[in-house]
Amino acid sequence: MVTRLSAQLPSEVAVALLDTDARSLPAGAATLQLGRAQTRGMGTGGEAALGLVSAESEEAALRRLFAGVPVVVLVTGLGGGTGSGAAAVVAGLAAECGATVLSFATMPFSHEGERRMRQANDATVKLGQKCHGLVVVHNDLLLQQVSPDAPLSESFAAADNWVGGALRGLASAFAPGALIAVDPAALRSLLSTPGSPTLFAYGVGQGEGAAMKAARAACDCPLAHAPGAVAKVASLFVTVAGGPAMTSTEAFEAVGAVRTRFGGETSTVLCARIDPSLGDRIEVSVLGASLPAPKAPTKPKKGAKADDPAQPIFEFATEESMRRGLFGGTPMTFIDGQDVDVPAYIRKAVRLPPAP
Amino acid sequence: MTPKPLPSLIAVIDIGTHKTASLLGQIIDGKARMLSFSERRTDGVVKGTVTDLEKLTQCVHEVVNDIERGSGRAVEQIYLSLSGPAAEGERVKGFVAVPAHDGKVTAKDVADAIASAKRLEPPSGRTTILYMRQPTMLDNRPVSNPVGMAGKRLEVNFWRVTMEEGNMRMRVGMVNGMSIKVRDFILASHAAACATASDADKQGVLVIDMGAGTTDWILYYKEHILCAGSIPVGGEHLTNDLSVALRISRETAEDLKLRFGSAMHRDNDVNQTIWKDGDKGVGDQQFNRGTITQVLSLRYQETIEFVRKDVLRRLEAIFPGHAVKLDQNMIPSGVILTGGSASLADAAEAVQLVTGLSARVGVPNFENESLQKPEYAGVVGLMTAAITDAPPLVRRPRGFLDQLKELFRL
Repeated sequence: MVTRLSAQLPSEVAVALLDTDARSLPAGAATLQLGRAQTRGMGTGGEAALGLVSAESEEAALRRLFAGVPVVVLVTGLGGGTGSGAAAVVAGLAAECGATVLSFATMPFSHEGERRMRQANDATVKLGQKCHGLVVVHNDLLLQQVSPDAPLSESFAAADNWVGGALRGLASAFAPGALIAVDPAALRSLLSTPGSPTLFAYGVGQGEGAAMKAARAACDCPLAHAPGAVAKVASLFVTVAGGPAMTSTEAFEAVGAVRTRFGGETSTVLCARIDPSLGDRIEVSVLGASLPAPKAPTKPKKGAKADDPAQPIFEFATEESMRRGLFGGTPMTFIDGQDVDVPAYIRKAVRLPPAP
Repeated sequence: MTPKPLPSLIAVIDIGTHKTASLLGQIIDGKARMLSFSERRTDGVVKGTVTDLEKLTQCVHEVVNDIERGSGRAVEQIYLSLSGPAAEGERVKGFVAVPAHDGKVTAKDVADAIASAKRLEPPSGRTTILYMRQPTMLDNRPVSNPVGMAGKRLEVNFWRVTMEEGNMRMRVGMVNGMSIKVRDFILASHAAACATASDADKQGVLVIDMGAGTTDWILYYKEHILCAGSIPVGGEHLTNDLSVALRISRETAEDLKLRFGSAMHRDNDVNQTIWKDGDKGVGDQQFNRGTITQVLSLRYQETIEFVRKDVLRRLEAIFPGHAVKLDQNMIPSGVILTGGSASLADAAEAVQLVTGLSARVGVPNFENESLQKPEYAGVVGLMTAAITDAPPLVRRPRGFLDQLKELFRL
């Protein structure tokens, strides 16, 4: 997946692949094999504990990798052993090295079964505590974007596209040549609170009115409509990228539409960029975060301290609250390896008719 | 054990995920006349599992108080319904070789076969709640009364329902707390079937009782219970899916489900815009009806598909190696759909689509008109089952009452 993604990214972005399985690390790319002593290059076999020690054993190499890097975007697939175990360690080290860490974590498909889902749930909680921003990408939701009879490869390509688009949007914000440039510190101030809920949306438009189309697509982005996802946030970071024909009016209209949908009352950082390779297409990506409201009374929950940094994650971004709706907080109910409390249309990846 | 004579007063209580309903009837000439009825919103049950015993106990007490006050009679014993995955069922069988001297089955042979079936211990930690008689086989032929018939091998079968011991204690304890005895447990799906299926139907019918938290099913073949099961999905899941998809509250989702929901999704639905309140005032929202029917139909049909798979799985366990087909030949009466979620529009059509069997919504057969709704099949059926099952169908395990007395010091 990372190999496919790196092909889509601007050259200013350095990509490094981390894995325990030596075979999945291609020659020629910047790679780091985790846990050489622990797994002997064989992968973790789904053991998160093994993923964790594997990452810890490469601490020195990871620190070298992150030295002097202002923004680290960690893309990981949760559910298996390497992602679930190592992600939090890697994110923690990157943050210690002074980078702003934004993580994109994909959750397994519900069909992948109970164990992977539990492992992924645990990992999101741990990961959320270590990085500045965490965007949880549900494979199930992404599947809804492709037609039911699409080939499997297309479904996975769709998943790549969402994350790829997100990375491209972010990367282009810092790349030289932006019309309205921002510096990494803006991202840092946006994501200053680890564990606060992170909103992410991405949309593409083409042809006449491309900017508005892209903005609307971003507003309808399944990542932002995940059940229980943050509806409105205080601060937004909007990137508009388009071909040479994009006008400033268009760009500002798009930002206006995004703000109507997602908020951004406290601050909205705008970045616009011309990329000739986009032609008549315009891409809008939105990253948002809310600082925990200082006035809101904290509800102490059983077994959790009021200052427990895991608490906001529990309330916003866990698997449960994202997809299980009214059943959030109850034990999962498994039939044929699927958690049937998750709505049927999500598990079956059926795209719903648009709202009127 | 000789069955106890039927009392003239019968009280039943059906504790569901959404509602708890209780009915008190006077038995005249083998028919129940309703003395009082009460239902209240259940507290402390989620997805068919008790989460807050205190709240649930209070709710049960209120309902029982209601029927006592409504009728002016004191309830001394009560029938409790058993539903959900907590009540697990399986087939147990026992057999004897008929002694060779004259080759005729005696009453003692039958008793021996029954005893051998009941000797099978339930899994550890579980208690047998009830045995339901299945066809008696003499040399692999079903017979209604084998005594006096010639044969070599006599086999008796039961559908045995067991429950986790702690769970059973809790349920009994809840009622005992009001100084009321549990007269018996009745399988909720069996009750629903008794209220909605005729004797002719029981030659072959699948009854699906879709409540709020669970969907219970029971299959009758040649007048006997062949197997039963439960799926931990119900009407609450329909509401939940809608609330997640449209990002609305439980109450709004419940309301939209009832007003615009359907178990079938049709292309035409997508072109319909519906209003939440209809007054187009402040706070009114519009939705695509296609979204509502799409979300609900997927969940509904999936749940019925789970039931279909569960039925086949259990049939395979009973008849290993046989390719059992669940078709109209086997169950001529098809599917009877009942319980609160049977009221969803086009429910029968959806069941027909998924199972390929004829399907209808079952309304309880009861003199009182206000209870002639699918959602009351459970509570009405408890009453019917209590009357009709008293002697032959429901048999307690040996010493069951003694066990209970010991457990609860009655």
